[in-house]
Amino acid sequence: MNSLWLLTKKNLKLLLRSKSSALIVVFAPLLIILILGLSFSNSSQYGINIGVYASAFNDDVNSFMETLQEEEFKVIKYESNIEECIEDIKLSYVHTCISLPESFQIDGNTKKEITFHIDPSKINLVWMVQETLRTKLNLKSEEVSKTLAGNILTKLADTNTKISSDKDKLGTIKEKTANALSSAETAKTGLSGLDFTVSETIYNLSVTEAFKTQIFANINMGITKLDTATSTIDKANLSSSEKGAIKKHLKLAKNELENASARLTVDSEGSFIAVNNLINTLQTDLTATKTKLTSVSEKVTGTTTDLGNIQSSLGEGIGSLDTVLTSLNEIKANLDAQKVTEAGVISNPITTKIENVIPAQSYLSYMFPALIVLVIMFSSLLLGTTLVMMEKNSPSFVRNYFVPVKKVTFILSTYLTNLILMLVQIVIILGISLIFLKELYLTLPQTVLILFLAASVFTFLGMALGYLFVSEETAVLASISLGSVFLFFSGLILPLESVSILLREITFFNPFVLAEKLVREVSLFQTSLSLIWMDLLILLGYAVVMFLVILIIESLLHKQLVTKFMRHHHKAHRHKQKVDGKKH
Amino acid sequence: MEFIHLKEVVKEFKRTKILKNVNLTIQQGEILGIIGQSGSGKTTLLNLIAGFIEPTEGNVEYFSKINHQPKEMHKNLHKIKKHIGFTPQHASFYPKLTVKENLLHFGRLYGLKKNLLIDNANNLLKFTNLHGHQNKLAEHLSGGMQKRLDLSCSLIHKPKLLILDEPTADLDHITQGEILELIQEVNKQGVTVVIASHHLNNLERICDKIAIIHKGELKSFGAVEEVRKPYLKNKICINIKVGKDKEKMVQMARKLPVNKIVDQGHQIVLHPLEDEKALLALVKAVKEENLYLHDIDLRKPSLSEVMGNIIEEEERK
Repeated sequence: MNSLWLLTKKNLKLLLRSKSSALIVVFAPLLIILILGLSFSNSSQYGINIGVYASAFNDDVNSFMETLQEEEFKVIKYESNIEECIEDIKLSYVHTCISLPESFQIDGNTKKEITFHIDPSKINLVWMVQETLRTKLNLKSEEVSKTLAGNILTKLADTNTKISSDKDKLGTIKEKTANALSSAETAKTGLSGLDFTVSETIYNLSVTEAFKTQIFANINMGITKLDTATSTIDKANLSSSEKGAIKKHLKLAKNELENASARLTVDSEGSFIAVNNLINTLQTDLTATKTKLTSVSEKVTGTTTDLGNIQSSLGEGIGSLDTVLTSLNEIKANLDAQKVTEAGVISNPITTKIENVIPAQSYLSYMFPALIVLVIMFSSLLLGTTLVMMEKNSPSFVRNYFVPVKKVTFILSTYLTNLILMLVQIVIILGISLIFLKELYLTLPQTVLILFLAASVFTFLGMALGYLFVSEETAVLASISLGSVFLFFSGLILPLESVSILLREITFFNPFVLAEKLVREVSLFQTSLSLIWMDLLILLGYAVVMFLVILIIESLLHKQLVTKFMRHHHKAHRHKQKVDGKKH
Repeated sequence: MEFIHLKEVVKEFKRTKILKNVNLTIQQGEILGIIGQSGSGKTTLLNLIAGFIEPTEGNVEYFSKINHQPKEMHKNLHKIKKHIGFTPQHASFYPKLTVKENLLHFGRLYGLKKNLLIDNANNLLKFTNLHGHQNKLAEHLSGGMQKRLDLSCSLIHKPKLLILDEPTADLDHITQGEILELIQEVNKQGVTVVIASHHLNNLERICDKIAIIHKGELKSFGAVEEVRKPYLKNKICINIKVGKDKEKMVQMARKLPVNKIVDQGHQIVLHPLEDEKALLALVKAVKEENLYLHDIDLRKPSLSEVMGNIIEEEERK
């Protein structure tokens, strides 16, 4: 124990007396944390330059620019073209360029486009700018959406009113249509009742001819008979007067018969031909009437069918009217049921409100876990390596081999030296941090414990590198490289979302990630150690494993190192002897 | 008393034999110097003695107490770490700690009680003459002071065995001398010292025993005189002033009964076939030629010359 303290004291003296080591290893991290503390102990975003280009800087554009300025961005106007702004990104004069439309008013279905020009090589800055500007643009977009939704809502309200008023008219139409349907039914029934049946009897006009012929024959017979009668009378003993009177009468009768015969043959008024003609005319008229009746009947049938169709159409119309009415009722009911009538609510129904799980603090408080672990990591790694290399390259390396002190004591003394220096650093860093982060008081012991474990892990890693490498430059380079690997695969510089899942899972076991996570949980969320014991155990495990690894490396390499050291000096001595020999 | 014993030690690195069948015994309280060319295996041998590396073959054993069974160094290193002080070639302290902090730090790691630690630290600071610099950062010390601090760090827990790899490397002659004196002082306090160095003259000055390693083989081991014995031929070193006499002297020396003439710039070294004859001939010739001799010295072969001979012999093989 005494030897351990002696060696540690000696290491501390050597480190502090070596001005460059003391400056770099002890004071540099403190200086870093102080500078960072002073630099990031604010919450403004001033310092980010945003170039804005628009073809016309009207009220819309100017108001957007004002919101950016309110956010403490430095806004630079580019009035000529966007390329000028893009060139300035390349020269790092501005960090992002925004090309704005002439106006944010939406007139048609064409979307308004806002283009961001970013430099993807500045990943973190891009994320930050994107995140902040997105919020601003969302606000603008919400404003436009609100106007659009307001317009739509007004129109919907008008529609609702019109539906209410026009619904009655539709009822009247429906009623009238029902009446028409009823009338059509009546008409159809009436028409169906009409009998246009015409006798199909065919009048035999030869009957009149036969009748005429018979009558004519009968008349002729009568005339003949009359002639016979006349002759008979002539022959009869009758006085001439008598005979003349009879004959006169017979003659008259004959005349009448001849007249009758003439009526049968001569076309004159009252003649048989006239009667016959009348009958023929009647016949023709009858036929024409029949034809017309047939046509009427057909038309009535057609009309009845049409009426049926009309009836059916009217029925369908009524059905459709019912449907329309039902739909209108439903639309109205839906419109009435629409509880959300505020355009603002519709345009932005879900308000994204980001509540910090911890009270809003300065950037430093968010960065603190990563920063302190970063400082501890690099300090421990470099200090571990430097101390081992210092011992390995120390002129007394050989003498130390002959002192009756165990190797493990030397290892532990290096570790203890490192730990003391780290403890001093932790105290100073936390002391400085407390100026900026008052809330750290609450979790100081836990934070110190985690940092102690982290410092142990990184010290042992640094020491292992010190034992493995021959030259100090290489060992220091290896330390820095290892620290950089831890840093790069921690998500602090590059987002881990872009690496493979397997690698992402591996990074969880990155001691830097573990330590940073633990400090964050403890310092920001005041998480109890009982909840994070597993991570603490992993860190402790790393430290123990690394210590064992160093013991193995030491036991395997120590003698070789001393031999190499002696051989190196022996060679140098021989070389000097040769040079001196040549001189003499 | 036997302290550490290397028995048939072989060390291989990537199938290359760095050390071949090394047998060596280190007695308690002595200073053993390990010498050899660069890449000869000195540091490997030192690391084996320190128990830092394990031999591929053979054993490196230590005796904790008299009459106790020897124990394998590497396997029991954890038990005897507190008795070993190891100073590698390079500085092995914390440059960003002060002198005293370094001492106290390592002393505490060795588990010394507070009072004893403070006493030891103060004594060492005085002993290494770092007292006035105790509050200085180690990195601000001069090279010599850093080496002394290194030594102090290795001695803070009063080890029984001090292992030093090139303790005088990169130091000026005066500082080298100071460090060597320190080592001797430490040794006088009963600490067994093992030093690997290519500064052979330094080792010659302070070591009780020398182990010469060449291409992984222990070529010679024993007390300095013993090591030197096979190569014990005197040399005549003539110190001359630079000028026309030097050329005349070389021409004259060629006529003498010598095996080899080495022109070292400030002096000419003659390897005589027979010491006496060569010396008389030289004096005679100098007189006849009327040459000026600044200094004349009859010298035994140094460790570096012994090394040189060994290397030569090896190359001849």
